[in-house]
Amino acid sequence: MARAAAPRSNPLVAAAFFLLVALAWEFGVRWFEVKPYLLPSLSAIATAFWDARGLLLEHGLVTLGEVLAGFIAAALLGVLLAAAIHVVPIARSTLYPMVIALQSIPKIGLAPLMVVWLGYGFGSKLVMAFLFAFFPIVIATLGGLAGVPSNLEEHFRALGASRWTMFRRLQVPAAMPNFMDGCKVAMPLAVIGAIVGEFVGSNNGLGNVILTATGSSQTALTFAALLAVTLLSLALFYVVELLSKFIWWRAI
Amino acid sequence: MGVAIRVENLTKYYGGPGGTKALEDVDIAIDDCEFISIIGPSGCGKSTLLRVLAGLHGFDTGSARMFDAPIDRPRDDVGVVFQTSNLLPWATVRKNLTLAVEIRHGQAAAAAADVAGMIDLLNLNGFEDKYPHELSGGMKHRVAIGQALMQNPRVLLMDEPFGALDALTRDRLNVELLRLWQRDRKTVVLITHSIAEAVLLSDRVLVLSERPGRLIANLRIDLPRPRDPSVTRDLPAFGDHVVELSRIMGVV
Ligand SMILES: Nc1ncnc2c1ncn2[C@@H]1O[C@H](COP(=O)(O)OP(=O)(O)OP(=O)(O)O)[C@@H](O)[C@H]1O
Ligand SMILES: [Mg+2]
Repeated sequence: MARAAAPRSNPLVAAAFFLLVALAWEFGVRWFEVKPYLLPSLSAIATAFWDARGLLLEHGLVTLGEVLAGFIAAALLGVLLAAAIHVVPIARSTLYPMVIALQSIPKIGLAPLMVVWLGYGFGSKLVMAFLFAFFPIVIATLGGLAGVPSNLEEHFRALGASRWTMFRRLQVPAAMPNFMDGCKVAMPLAVIGAIVGEFVGSNNGLGNVILTATGSSQTALTFAALLAVTLLSLALFYVVELLSKFIWWRAI
Repeated sequence: MGVAIRVENLTKYYGGPGGTKALEDVDIAIDDCEFISIIGPSGCGKSTLLRVLAGLHGFDTGSARMFDAPIDRPRDDVGVVFQTSNLLPWATVRKNLTLAVEIRHGQAAAAAADVAGMIDLLNLNGFEDKYPHELSGGMKHRVAIGQALMQNPRVLLMDEPFGALDALTRDRLNVELLRLWQRDRKTVVLITHSIAEAVLLSDRVLVLSERPGRLIANLRIDLPRPRDPSVTRDLPAFGDHVVELSRIMGVV
């Protein structure tokens, strides 16, 4: 079936539109004399970003560490859990429903608890990033494992492959593309998790910067920190995107 | 010469009695080193029979034995070529060719296997390091056949392996198959929908009826060996056999 050609987006038009919005922001704020603690001008945000670059880098690295630790833990444990659920029959009827139930807990609500349990430091943020990233990875990996083509499974059975060989040589590579899809969803969520953790109780990190800047009416710094979080999130997503280029196949 | 395969009164349902009856009272005896073709209309149970012989499917009544042992699991000395070319999308042609050897006999055996010779035989020179998605449909089938041949199995079960190939490549592979079979003296069970191919290659041709598949003919092919498509096809006996089989199948 031929697909209708998607409407083309013209990058020039897009750039012009962004510029227009930026100009409207910059001059609208001046024209209407909006209080800077409500909405600073773009140039003020840019200045704040530049002036606070040392601070943002320092706290950005803290947040980066939390996100990466939480994400990597989520990827490792997520794959293990998905594999267990897929391979061990008893796990499918015990762990899987529990995963679904746990996923339905609003994870933001767990943040205060994590601070109580693990304190103001790194640990509670790692766990928050982990909690946000874990479930998408489990669900995606499970989907990949369940979607291994049955003709290939039959082929391996005809070759007398052991369950371990089947797992290693067939199911793992077949599920890799789905796992990478899960990682793409999970990475920005891990950033959100870490920031939420920092909001609830922390001494450092970009979430902490946002909180203290807002508390002292340094709104331009708040926006600068938000920009830093966004850039961090984009950069991390791009890393996952690059890694997923190595997993180019789809086992259909 | 001993008996390689003996099937007696075999009946097979999908979904238990009351479900789809795929095979009914099938009796087959295949001698060691015999070349057998099975033909029959689409959906009559040919692939089902092959899966039973490969030890992949159970059955409801009757018995199936190979070299005097009941067929209850895939055997090490059997090579199977499925109707769909089951290649691993993430593995190169080379890796796919040695997959069966690797799974059955380990990495070392796979590394020692004569890939270059098989590539030559299959006329796939220059494609050793390509991936399946870079091959044509017929090339994929050739790789799948090569994988089964590389195991040097005692019994080779093939489910329409040449179905997707053009007449010329088909002839070439038929010649190669004949040559290999004459050299290594394997037992071959070939499912095909080409009457001419069955006559050209086989010692005997078995005909299955419409579903449920019953054996309706067992025709010995008395053509001199070694056979060669260009010569054998011109023998009067060749035409006689083709006509007889066509009549049995109701084609003419
Ligand atoms: N896994 C299955 N579950 C249920 N029914 C099946 C299954 N596989 C095959 N059948 C049924 O069994 C019958 C025989 O199927 P089979 O695949 O053996 O036919 P075939 O002779 O190989 O046909 P073709 O020449 O089209 O490949 C068909 O009616 C099919 O619907
Ligand atoms: Mg079939």
